[in-house]
Amino acid sequence: MRFLAWSLAEIDEMELEEMGATASIHLIQGGIQTHAWRIMTGRVREADVFLGRFKDQHRIARSDLKLDPEALRPEGEDEEVVEGESEVKGFMAGPMVRLFVFAKTWHRLMVLGFLLTLASTATSLIAPWLTMALVDNVLIPLQSATEEVHVNQVYKFMAQLAGAGVLTWLLNWARTFVVARLAERVTSRMRRETFEHLQRLSLTYFNRKRTGDLISRIGSDTDHISLFLSVNFIEFVCDVLQCVFLAVILFWINPLLAVAAMGPAPLVGWLVSKVRGHLRGGFAAASRAWSAMNSVLSDTIPGVRVVKAFAQEQREIERFRATDKHIFDTNDRVNRMWSFFTPMIELLTDVGLLVVWAAGAWSVAHHHITVGVLTGFVLYIQKLYGRVESMSKFVAAAQRASASAHRVFEILDVKPDMPVNQGMRKVGRLSGEIDFKGVKFRHGSRQVIKGIDLKIAPGEMIGLVGPSGAGKTTLVNLACRFFDVSEGSIWVDGMDLRELDVEDYRKNLGLVLQEPYLFYGTIAENIAYGKPKATKAEIIAVARAARAHDFIMRTVDGYDSMVGERGQQLSGGERQRISIARALLIDPAILILDEATSSVDTETEREIQAALDYLVKGRTTIAIAHRLGTLRRANRLIVMEDGRIVETGTHDQLLNQSGTYARLHEAMMEVTSQ
Amino acid sequence: MNPAFDLLIDSGGRLVLVDEKGNRHENVRPARMFPLTDPEGWISLQGPSGEEVGFIENSKTLTRVQQAALSDAFAKRDFVPVVRSIDRISRAADGHLWHVTTDRGPTIFRIETDESIQQLGANRLVIVDDHNTRYLIPDIDKLDVESRRRLERYY
Repeated sequence: MRFLAWSLAEIDEMELEEMGATASIHLIQGGIQTHAWRIMTGRVREADVFLGRFKDQHRIARSDLKLDPEALRPEGEDEEVVEGESEVKGFMAGPMVRLFVFAKTWHRLMVLGFLLTLASTATSLIAPWLTMALVDNVLIPLQSATEEVHVNQVYKFMAQLAGAGVLTWLLNWARTFVVARLAERVTSRMRRETFEHLQRLSLTYFNRKRTGDLISRIGSDTDHISLFLSVNFIEFVCDVLQCVFLAVILFWINPLLAVAAMGPAPLVGWLVSKVRGHLRGGFAAASRAWSAMNSVLSDTIPGVRVVKAFAQEQREIERFRATDKHIFDTNDRVNRMWSFFTPMIELLTDVGLLVVWAAGAWSVAHHHITVGVLTGFVLYIQKLYGRVESMSKFVAAAQRASASAHRVFEILDVKPDMPVNQGMRKVGRLSGEIDFKGVKFRHGSRQVIKGIDLKIAPGEMIGLVGPSGAGKTTLVNLACRFFDVSEGSIWVDGMDLRELDVEDYRKNLGLVLQEPYLFYGTIAENIAYGKPKATKAEIIAVARAARAHDFIMRTVDGYDSMVGERGQQLSGGERQRISIARALLIDPAILILDEATSSVDTETEREIQAALDYLVKGRTTIAIAHRLGTLRRANRLIVMEDGRIVETGTHDQLLNQSGTYARLHEAMMEVTSQ
Repeated sequence: MNPAFDLLIDSGGRLVLVDEKGNRHENVRPARMFPLTDPEGWISLQGPSGEEVGFIENSKTLTRVQQAALSDAFAKRDFVPVVRSIDRISRAADGHLWHVTTDRGPTIFRIETDESIQQLGANRLVIVDDHNTRYLIPDIDKLDVESRRRLERYY
């Protein structure tokens, strides 16, 4: 990297030029462009901030006509950005480790689970030990018939073996219960936190993400993790413990045999490490394939009307088949590796057993050990190999869980791009004065709002009109603080919107959108969405005011009627009136109407209009409408074009100006008269 | 309540409302606003063409005679059996056949999908059969163990 430095006096200007996918900063000295830097659009925002700072410093420098060396340090900006990135990287450390951080709250349960695991593993090793004594002290003497064996001894061994069995069973039971409980809590917390985090993220995030992908991350990926924690992980811990115990016992019984038995271990270790990487990639691919399928489903099923209308069922079937094939292929790949791996481990352990039998037979023949010891040894070594085998299965489970955990943490790691904690100022009921001061907003590389100054008095109704893409909805979204302004500021009741507590502020906000969204639930629940504690009297009162009461009473269950996923059983106008009642119930100081009447016929519009007239009374209202009739009660009409305000005034004033508004009005009149 | 208000049954067996202003509305149809969550309160009284002519906030504030008139009018139109126990659920060609005992005696009905079972409030379920008849389970916990187990498989 090469650092260049100029003094402020040498620079005439720095400009940002956008060129579609990239942008560039031009440095202009002595009237000509001497340098240019290219930047990715993702960084345009930072560049903007930098240029803003530069301009400030430049202005100060110009007015002072003397240079302060400390005034401008463009490198400082770069350092900050780099720092931010490395911080994120440090945070991403191993998904598995982070998974256990989640379990920390239940450390008591964890310790209990561990102790139970330890105990149950230890008791499961008692039986072979007893067998050893049984063979040497009872069975061999019985067979050779050289000495008298007391029958009581047989009973004693039987009783001990049975006791060991029962104890192992009890401890295993307790362990499984405790561990499953712990795993369920951890994953439930994970699901909840992921969803809570998701709710805090801004609209921009949701615009970028596919619904199906998010659903499968919270749904099936957390389920993989749960299975891993409750079954695979604990089995693995048991296996490791048992292996350690077994190794100790084996060496204690006979070091020579033990060394012989351990022969294949390094080979197994090598094989495991070889396979692991492949499996992990495979499982990650499988999870991605799975969420791709979920995406297709969550795309096609809600859009089924369009699919049918255009007779594209076959195409959707093909699309689904393709994603399903993808899942099949990735799983196939994993399975192919898998089917080779497991028998390979088995073969290796069989070889180990062969070695033990050979060395054991030799040792018995030379009277180094007794038959009982060899029997016990073989029992132990078989247990050990069994453990090694199941440990090898853990490899796959761990890789799958790790891939899933990574996908879940990916959501958790997204920092809310709307810093919620920034505005801490608590506010109660606002009077509803809104003041846009030099507001600019950039969406990606596109400057959507190019400088808006607009003051709205409390209780005033503003009509926003203008062609599509003029930035009307964006302006309203800024007023709702779904996004933050790139430049300038919005003041509400004399307070900067960014200083206010978002939740408090939104409680003052009523929103009626073009496509009213009804949640799955009763009509009463939907009306009371913004105020769940509303009384029945309140709900009925707002429904009457919104002209919804009559049609609600025509449904079978009245206010208790269920409305489907998107309120399918109701017509567009009916849904709209429910959403108006919903806005009315929270008695907002500021009301936003975004094309509230656009999706309904003229007759319904009249009904909705009556409901709206009641709603806007005494509230600061910003209404966006294509149908200019909706705005007849507006105090002022604001005509926007290309991110700027081009005209302001009443209907009549604007008509007389014969500008954009007059053109829009004429176009609309033409359509209506046809 | 205003003294002029009255509810009565006329000689033809139809419900008559005399509203607060003394106007007489004949052949009124009572309809519950919250038939499932608050059947006693919020009753809308509608005229022959479905327009609302009055409403009762709480039927318990009515006189005994008025209450009788109201429940008489409801009895003629309302049919929401309350499920007391679920005796058997069997698979049918499409959907399931439910054999249940209701407060109106035993019956069999067919439901098509899981969405026919709707939750209202914490423990309250409404089951809509394929003829749109609605069956109410006011409190799942009050069902016997066997019924709950059968229900659990579908809900």
